[in-house]
Amino acid sequence: MIQLDGLTKRHGDVLAVDDLTFTVRPGLVTGFLGPNGAGKTTTMRMILGLDLPTSGTATINGRAHHELRHPLREVGSMLEAQAVHPRRSAYKHLLYLAQTNAIPDTRVAEVLDLVGLTAVAGRKAGEFSLGMGQRLGIAAALLGDPPVLMLDEPVNGLDPEGVLWIRTLIRGLAAEGRTVLVSSHLMSEMALTADRLVVIGKGRLIAEGDIGDFTEGGAAVVVRTPDAASFARRLELSGAYVQPGGGDELLVTGMTAPDVGRLAAAEGVPLFELAPRRASLEETFMELTRESVEYGVAR
Amino acid sequence: MIDAGVLRAEWTKFSSIRSTMVLSLATAGVAALLGWLFSSTAAKEYATATAQERLDFQPLDLGMRGMFIVQLLVAALGVLVASSEYGSGTMRASLAAVSGRGRLLAAKCGMTALAALPVSVAAVWLMFVTSQLTLSANGAPSVMPADPAALRLLLLGPLVLTLLALFGLSLGVLLRGTAPAVNVSTAFLLLPVMAGASPGFLRDLIGVYWPSMAALQAVSGKSELPEAVGFGLLAGFVTVLLTGAYVQLKNRDA
Repeated sequence: MIQLDGLTKRHGDVLAVDDLTFTVRPGLVTGFLGPNGAGKTTTMRMILGLDLPTSGTATINGRAHHELRHPLREVGSMLEAQAVHPRRSAYKHLLYLAQTNAIPDTRVAEVLDLVGLTAVAGRKAGEFSLGMGQRLGIAAALLGDPPVLMLDEPVNGLDPEGVLWIRTLIRGLAAEGRTVLVSSHLMSEMALTADRLVVIGKGRLIAEGDIGDFTEGGAAVVVRTPDAASFARRLELSGAYVQPGGGDELLVTGMTAPDVGRLAAAEGVPLFELAPRRASLEETFMELTRESVEYGVAR
Repeated sequence: MIDAGVLRAEWTKFSSIRSTMVLSLATAGVAALLGWLFSSTAAKEYATATAQERLDFQPLDLGMRGMFIVQLLVAALGVLVASSEYGSGTMRASLAAVSGRGRLLAAKCGMTALAALPVSVAAVWLMFVTSQLTLSANGAPSVMPADPAALRLLLLGPLVLTLLALFGLSLGVLLRGTAPAVNVSTAFLLLPVMAGASPGFLRDLIGVYWPSMAALQAVSGKSELPEAVGFGLLAGFVTVLLTGAYVQLKNRDA
């Protein structure tokens, strides 16, 4: 579990992170979403004790990072910037990390195997492709077999195979009961991986909830009928909001698909199509973050 | 005080990068070379010197002149222990793995001392051996290791160099980069060498009290200060810098 309580980071006049309070629960993948520059990385750096909060606290299973004797066994992390010396081999990189936390050397070979880097373990990290670098980052995160994992933009720049690999891995880690926080600026990616979402913009919490909550708000019904104009008036009289979709199509909000169907039957209007349509996460995300940007400008 | 696992990790970091290992070996090699170079020149001068000049001939000082360059290399070795982490971004990985800033810095101090001491011993002893052998082979006076002045230099010289490596380490942490830290370190260590050209008051101040100079002069027996004071000036100075490095490591975002 990761708990943030009033976490705030000020850089001069700029509030990079503004009074963030939320909890990341175990057994689930929590997506940490926000446009670039929203403060996701700064938040993760504060959780890891790399940046000092201006105020507020962040704890990992109830303890602050600086209270952890062997942090790698409590929280595994991969931050966006690759923190590997380009002239050090992958094996030595993982070995030194293991030694700091009294993790047996044999575990290094295990995680290398787990991420599929055994064959290139002796090669210098600077020669790695982006995908191999991400795998090395994941290996480092898993080194201490930690109950909490934090991955910053793990699929950035990966090929489709790599994306699928990370997605499967992340789901698997959560299924083992671990707390998994994954940041991304891509809602579409989170739609495929996350169970819960925390959305921030300009350092502030915008929304938090189960992934289903984010798609229900903007539900609409698509209707196609030859009597589009007159049926639209009839729908509006019944309290629905109708947008003409071009030709014989109507986009109806504020009324469920069964109610639209019943109304059409009662009025004797022929329907060619009647389909509920959920707002995509992408649209919800754009809507949410647009508000945060507007709020920021107004301020 | 020093966590064994964190210290082992520091050794893994240090030994897995070629540049630090190359610098260690190069320091010893350069020391031997400089011992030979300065003593050959000195031996040639001795051959054509007047009787009075021959009386003033200082085989130990002349043979160990190269120390002013060796000190730069050893300090750079200390710089690298910290700055290579900042340059590559591994400082973040290291700090995420070792939550106590003090524990990390203590391990880095331990690592720096463990690497710098053997390098310093090798450098000082090699320089002594090559220089005195070169002098005697060319018919100039030389000293034996058992000579009290030579013995003091052979035993205490490496300790001063090791303190200078810790000085380099603290600069690496404070300045967070190889280039700025090596530049500052080099300027600091060479300033007293060039101070001979400055006005009298300043020259005395720098020539006597400048921490690196005070310690090196205490070792070579030329200091106007008691030996312990010369040595203590450098030790105190390095302690202050390391404390500053700790405070910065603790209070600044990584």
